[in-house]
Amino acid sequence: MNELIERISICVERGKVNKTSPYPKDLAGQDGADELTRQALDSNLGPDSILQACNVGMMKIGERFGRNEVFVPELLMAAKAMNAVMAHLKPFFKAGTVKAKGKFLLGTVAGDLHDIGKNLVSMVVEGNGWQVIDLGVDVKPGKFIEKIKENPDCIVGLSALLTTTMASMSKTVKEIKEQFPNIKIIVGGAPLSHKAAEQMGADGYAPDPQGAVEFLNEFIAA
Amino acid sequence: MTDYQWEILQKTINGEKINPLPVGFIIDCPWLPNWYGINILDYFSNDELWLKANLKAINDFPDIMFLPGFWSEFGMCTEPSAFGARCTFPANEFPHAHKVIHSNDDIESLSVPNPKTDGLLPFMLNRLKIAQPKIEDAGHKIRFSVSRGPLNIASYLMGSTEFLTTMMMDPDKAHMLMRKITDFLKDWHKLQIQTIPSIDGILMLDDIIGFMGEAEFCEFGLPYFKELYNADVSVKFLHNDAPCKVSAPFLPEMGVNLFNMGFEVTLNELKEITQNKVTMLGNIPPRDVLASGSVEEVKSVTSNLLNSLEDKSHVIMSCGGGMPPAVSSDNINAFIDAVKNNS
Repeated sequence: MNELIERISICVERGKVNKTSPYPKDLAGQDGADELTRQALDSNLGPDSILQACNVGMMKIGERFGRNEVFVPELLMAAKAMNAVMAHLKPFFKAGTVKAKGKFLLGTVAGDLHDIGKNLVSMVVEGNGWQVIDLGVDVKPGKFIEKIKENPDCIVGLSALLTTTMASMSKTVKEIKEQFPNIKIIVGGAPLSHKAAEQMGADGYAPDPQGAVEFLNEFIAA
Repeated sequence: MTDYQWEILQKTINGEKINPLPVGFIIDCPWLPNWYGINILDYFSNDELWLKANLKAINDFPDIMFLPGFWSEFGMCTEPSAFGARCTFPANEFPHAHKVIHSNDDIESLSVPNPKTDGLLPFMLNRLKIAQPKIEDAGHKIRFSVSRGPLNIASYLMGSTEFLTTMMMDPDKAHMLMRKITDFLKDWHKLQIQTIPSIDGILMLDDIIGFMGEAEFCEFGLPYFKELYNADVSVKFLHNDAPCKVSAPFLPEMGVNLFNMGFEVTLNELKEITQNKVTMLGNIPPRDVLASGSVEEVKSVTSNLLNSLEDKSHVIMSCGGGMPPAVSSDNINAFIDAVKNNS
């Protein structure tokens, strides 16, 4: 692997956003994902290989997260570093040099302002080559429906942290399915389980961001 | 809680074996208004309905210690409102507070609220004062001062993602925010205790603890929780139904002696990692069993939990987390029966 590409991958895994970022302490003062991506593009390294570096970095941190070696703050920092890379790659997506695997429409359901899970999923899914349309938090069913109309080929992701907003999630699934029975919906969040997802009529449930990626990739492959 | 229930609670915390094991549940909105048959806004805005709903719960289930019991609350809006957060109260949904910190620079100018006058706090406390005689006429007393925990409040004030990344990118600012919130919470609990002399316990609810690794928890959580639980009360109660394996070993150091957890970790394991110094309130699955399960399923899962316990001291039977929406009276009674028959 090219040295720059390898370093980008490490920056993503370790959550090193840019040179001025104090995190992680042992990489203080060193170039981060931002600078290294710029250098890689200036050296004519392909955006595909840079994107692949992101995937590797996110996969490694995702695996460590799954083993409870790192926790949400570290995962958020990795996602932040990946975002710094993606900012450089956006023009290549737009130009079609790099093709997205599909569209993923994502939001935290109405009544819930928690964004940790949604943001993690958003960043990891994007790092895996999907175009993510992030609707934010406290998203009413009507907003999802409006955006599905604009993106009829999307897959929908609903997030909730609060037990109390599971009813809101259920309502959102129902309203989407009434209008778009073929749209696939995956749900996730602390109060959920496979059983709860099934009861509300969702097509999938993921306990973590990697699970969401697996669902999406499997669905596309099918 | 009645004097007898309070005595049982304290005996359990002191390690005495109680037979049958005590049963306790955290009840609040939305379960309570839904169960009582009123809409959520009425529950929050009408002191009389709030009291009637709570009185019906204690009368219908005299064998249960409701924790904290007569919880005067406005959902997630209670403490953030004092910091100036806009609060949204949909007619029959759970309310929520909006962010007040939009960049790290806002932390410096954030004022520490006065709990006597700011936000919804005077309403919360005044409701308790007005209701206190009727609560005591019913044979109960207000036992706990209650708040969300400092990490939870921080995440409401600035957004959970922003707060957690600020811990990593700008730790000084994260500490500044935690300092302000902790100072406020100390004042807030002190005011509750001074206003209602029967209070002899503190409950804080904080699930952001569950998202942190040990290093972050020890730096940004532990010292602040220690300060808060250093209050002069006998029951120091924490609710965190997010992952708890990282923080649970620190519960005794935090000063916590009563803990309500999620349901992923067994009570046996939690008792071991806390050296049996903390009383566990838990932990059958709240949604998949207590809310959605049949009466038979509730009985079976509850019996299995009881039979799995290697040591029945320091245990109050409950679900893993607070009472979730839509739990029926039948399922609650099935839970009580299973505890009575299998303790």
